[in-house]
Amino acid sequence: MRLQLSDEDAAFQQQMRDFFTTEIPADLRERWASGGEVSADDIRESQRLLNAAGLAVPHWPVEWGGKDWTQLQRHLYLQEMQAASVPPPLAFNASMVGPVIATFGSQEQKERFLPATANLDIWWCQGFSEPNAGSDLASLRTEAVLDGDEWVVNGQKTWTTLGQHADWIFALVRTEPDAPKKQMGISFLLIDMKTPGITVRPIQLIDGGHEVNEVFFDNVRVPADQLVGERGKGWTIAKFLLGNERVGVAPVGTIKRALASAKGYAAAARSGEGTLLQEPLVAARFAELETQLAALELTVLRVAANSRGEKPDPASSILKLRGSQLQQDVFEFTIDIAGPASLEWQQPDDTDLQSWAAVATPTYLNFRKASIYGGSNEVQRSIIASGILGLKG
Amino acid sequence: MDFTFDDEQKALQDAVRELAARNAPAEAHGDVPVGPAAHDPKAWSAIAEMGLLALPFGEDVGGAGASTVEVAIAATELGRARVATAYAEALTAAGLIAFGGSDEQRAKLLPDLLDGTSLVVPAFAEPGRAWSLEAYDVTASGAGAGSPRSIRGSEAEEKLRGVQGDVTLTGTKEPVPYADAADKLVVTARVGDRTGLFLVDGATVSGMRVRLDNTPAVALGSVDDAARAIRAGVNLGILAVTAEALGAMDAALPMTVEYLKTRKQFGVPLAAFQTLTQRAADMYVSLELARSTVLYEGMALAADPYDATATSRAKVVIGQSGRHVGQEAIQLHGGIGMTAEYAVGHHTARLTAIEHTFGDTRWHLARLAGALDDHEQVDLLT
Repeated sequence: MRLQLSDEDAAFQQQMRDFFTTEIPADLRERWASGGEVSADDIRESQRLLNAAGLAVPHWPVEWGGKDWTQLQRHLYLQEMQAASVPPPLAFNASMVGPVIATFGSQEQKERFLPATANLDIWWCQGFSEPNAGSDLASLRTEAVLDGDEWVVNGQKTWTTLGQHADWIFALVRTEPDAPKKQMGISFLLIDMKTPGITVRPIQLIDGGHEVNEVFFDNVRVPADQLVGERGKGWTIAKFLLGNERVGVAPVGTIKRALASAKGYAAAARSGEGTLLQEPLVAARFAELETQLAALELTVLRVAANSRGEKPDPASSILKLRGSQLQQDVFEFTIDIAGPASLEWQQPDDTDLQSWAAVATPTYLNFRKASIYGGSNEVQRSIIASGILGLKG
Repeated sequence: MDFTFDDEQKALQDAVRELAARNAPAEAHGDVPVGPAAHDPKAWSAIAEMGLLALPFGEDVGGAGASTVEVAIAATELGRARVATAYAEALTAAGLIAFGGSDEQRAKLLPDLLDGTSLVVPAFAEPGRAWSLEAYDVTASGAGAGSPRSIRGSEAEEKLRGVQGDVTLTGTKEPVPYADAADKLVVTARVGDRTGLFLVDGATVSGMRVRLDNTPAVALGSVDDAARAIRAGVNLGILAVTAEALGAMDAALPMTVEYLKTRKQFGVPLAAFQTLTQRAADMYVSLELARSTVLYEGMALAADPYDATATSRAKVVIGQSGRHVGQEAIQLHGGIGMTAEYAVGHHTARLTAIEHTFGDTRWHLARLAGALDDHEQVDLLT
């Protein structure tokens, strides 16, 4: 048992902190920190700066730009990145399709896609969910039929995050409709979004923003060499990808920053004869959230220290579950601090209200997604119940 | 940051687990006593013999020179088996002497406490008052001309640092857990507008009530140093009870899981009902967050025995998770969880008692809330 970071890890932490706070432009980081609409250009710029420094895809195999870091170092890297409000590498590239291609792809696919994926020269989006296949992903029905050396794809994907910016989509498609189990006969296909027959339709969300889309495939012809891994074994790849998605999914640094900002807002908000932060119920709630956040971070560090291999620890479900809850709690509390100022959603030109208050309600509403995506919290509980506690219905 | 136990710590864990199993209270006899447990002298001797009381103290005063991490390991195992002794209280009293007493007092008093020859417990609570580290109604007086007088001002404080017999205490401390098993008490008492620490062995004890009526006492160290000593001593007690609570939850969850697997209703095991398994998963989340926090608390106190933040955070996490896990353990068992013959309810009772020992969730949250301005954000790694 050791409380402090080793000298080596502390030096690593400092190195990360220095890089993120000096090499990534402050105006870019401020835009990211202020919330609001996601700017594709900012995400691209950030990832390219990271990639140039070898910091975009540290968990990939070393020959493709990975760093062979320990789990603790990965945690410190993420923590410092979040603390400095650096837009992180696009998850679809860095955490999802990249590791899939590196693990299951052919040499040709690796060479063709991995460098471009690391540098965000290709912006990927995820084509997994369908109108009738959410948590029950294996029910997906988008089909791909082999015609010569091309797959012909028909069907519909949904909840395609940032699909409006995407150059390519990685999709799960049903290639063997007669397979005995619905998990079988699924394949993992890489598709250029410019291929004729693809239509992207925006889905507007309750916060007023546009971050997800429907994607329609109408006789879309895809070269056969863009299928990753074995035909019909896409479910194995999907499970691998979703496991990666969950790892490190508790955005402790981001939640901390949001909570620290909220504390600043409360300290600046006049209330009665003092400030909102001086009100006992408000102060107690801050103390409670800080305490719960500390417990989560300690658990992240404990799980990180224990998962030596690449196999996702089922305990990481705790991090997804609790991380999303706390993130939601902090944004919920932030609207409570904004109070009447939360009624204004736009930042008009002529206003005495603060910009953070204008995004408080949309942000709160937007982050109701956190307990739904990446395996809903009910799915995480099922993983804990069956995978850890052995409670199999 | 490293949460793994080394070989010696694992050996300690195994040894205490075995000791605790041998001394665990029996259940399933139909006449199991409920409510606050009496001190178990047999278990106490075993604990003392294994050196568990001496763990965090220096070898110069008869300690084992281990650390608070080892205290957490030992207390977790005692909690898992529901061993009922004054372990946390004795550690607290020893801590109060170690941090508050003069060198002479430490050298004279501690060896007997740490090897279990003497059982000393702290007396903080006063009837009709919420938890406080301060004393209010129990007052210290110097011996006057025939009648006691309240001590006021620095001149009077000088007197209180004097030899045995110069000081007397008056007032009631209650409840004082294990007071009836102790041969001495460390009592907090009012000195002017401050709180001092006093060693008492002639109080009138009845159950958990301690009556002091011009009772002779010895001042521990100086009243100037008492506040800090109290904080460090109580931190030690909090570590022991939070770790004990961790052990209790660590026992209650597997019992519940096992029950869900084996108990059949409507022709199927309870584990077939997702609403139940999802709640068990949430119990696991609470338990693991509590485990991280208590292990960290052990490490933090090894580095700084006065660390109020790590201690209060652990107490809050344990207070909230203890309620959650304890309540759900009973609920998921159904009626059997309500019976005295079944351990799960006893664990929940103990978790409830621990929440109200050495300051409850509200008290610790208030202490943390009072320190919000000290930091912009939570920082555990620098």
